[in-house]
Amino acid sequence: MQQGWLSNWLVKHDVVHRSLGFDHRGVETLQIKAGDWDSIAVILYVYGYNYLRSQCAYDVAPGGSLASVYHLTRIQYGIDNPEEVCIKVFAQKDNPRIPSVFWVWRSADFQERESYDMVGISYDNHPRLKRILMPESWIGWPLRKDYITPNFYEIQDAH
Amino acid sequence: MSLSLKRKDLMIVNMGPQHPSMHGVLRLIVTLDGEDVIDCEPILGYLHRGMEKIAENRSIIQYLPYVTRWDYLATMFTEAITVNAPEFLENIQIPKRASYIRVIMLELSRIASHLLWLGPFMADLGAQTPFFYIFRERELIYDLFEAVTGMRMMHNYFRIGGVAADLPYGWMDKCLDFCDYFLQGVVEYQELITQNPIFLERVEGVGFISGEEAVNWGLSGPMLRASGIQWDLRKIDPYESYNQFDWKVQWQKEGDSLARYLVRVGEMRESIKIIQQAVEKIPGGPYENLEARRFKKAKNPEWNDFEYRFLGKKPSPNFELSKQELYVRVEAPKGELGIYLVGDDSLFPWRWKIRPPGFINLQILPQLVKKMKLADIMTILGSIDIIMGEVDR
Repeated sequence: MQQGWLSNWLVKHDVVHRSLGFDHRGVETLQIKAGDWDSIAVILYVYGYNYLRSQCAYDVAPGGSLASVYHLTRIQYGIDNPEEVCIKVFAQKDNPRIPSVFWVWRSADFQERESYDMVGISYDNHPRLKRILMPESWIGWPLRKDYITPNFYEIQDAH
Repeated sequence: MSLSLKRKDLMIVNMGPQHPSMHGVLRLIVTLDGEDVIDCEPILGYLHRGMEKIAENRSIIQYLPYVTRWDYLATMFTEAITVNAPEFLENIQIPKRASYIRVIMLELSRIASHLLWLGPFMADLGAQTPFFYIFRERELIYDLFEAVTGMRMMHNYFRIGGVAADLPYGWMDKCLDFCDYFLQGVVEYQELITQNPIFLERVEGVGFISGEEAVNWGLSGPMLRASGIQWDLRKIDPYESYNQFDWKVQWQKEGDSLARYLVRVGEMRESIKIIQQAVEKIPGGPYENLEARRFKKAKNPEWNDFEYRFLGKKPSPNFELSKQELYVRVEAPKGELGIYLVGDDSLFPWRWKIRPPGFINLQILPQLVKKMKLADIMTILGSIDIIMGEVDR
């Protein structure tokens, strides 16, 4: 697989990661182990990625793992094509734990709570990890692919 | 956020979700010491409709009429991002004319959104008059929309590969008339509001955000630009045909509510500039890429037959999203509106993550209102410009 320059830079500095190639727009995608993510997040922040534009979580496959995706950008004065990178951290469904990056990028606050709410990833060290969009008494993780909507009669009635 | 109540005179007040200054159904639990805000916790989710889940079993064209319910005041932007994501994913070119029509529509929508921010913002501060004034101009924008799309708010106008219909005859003249009229309107607002001492007392220095903080909290749009960072996606990663117009990024360095007001008013003027140039330079030609309609790679599906090939207005029911992923974004009036789209070689997106600007911008609210007075909550919340439809989705 082709390696991007950020991946090379990380290799030079002995940072454990795996390159996932480039996404459709040419943004480099890296996979990072959940255990390393808190320290690597700081490394990336120090390197200059100061803007977390989007944090997203999704179910990779039914019965598979969960992914937490971070889109980072470097905002600098007078830059037209800012550097971007996409980080993926995978977690197993039976015990999905990923370190929170709230203390590095504050914009992870609500977004990690939403990821917790929707796919059930526990973000360690997040200051107030609880459901945000769904009611607090809700059971289940709505955006997982094996989720069954409770009391959903529409399909049954259609027959 | 958790605060142990040691002192007895602290008071916990619930604001919303049915409070008129909560801009929909936001709920704030505010801890007060007299009139000073000690702590504030936003509670979301009263308007949650599971839009990301719903997207996962709809084809894009089925989902398109629904997306205008994210940000129901800047509806064109939600449609734009919804068609941009599959277009980028499948490398679909759109005709020049369609791109210009989109720019005109988006900028009109931006003005409408900023207007309906300005009115309620002033109403939050206790000035009722602008709220009625803004509907004058906004009504004209919606009349323009109605003439093109048939709908005033929920247009369902953008399509993968273009737009649903061409501009009707004489529309562009009306649009230019509106631009001239609106520029006078902006002058009127500025005379009425900008130098008003009561207004300045309420907004100057209230809700200060430094540039560094703004970046760290992931703010975008006018919130970020009011803190001295010239970050406008229309300039930074140009989409549609924004790089062909002459306009300036509006920004201020003060970082308070007044700066955000100035940025938004300035943006309305810039939008008019863009619209005027776009109307002047709009090329002829098709308004939709007809080839975008038949994309299934299966051999000879019925939908690629002659009869269906040139049917109007719809991509074929089997427009397929290939197994790739990307993050697309546009500069919506509230900030960066993004979609993280994961395709799965099927008609439906595997994951359709919406990155709404209001949701991210709202995060900084508890920090901003701390140590301020209770009445400043309305000012600060108003200056953030949230729409609960997109915050809760």
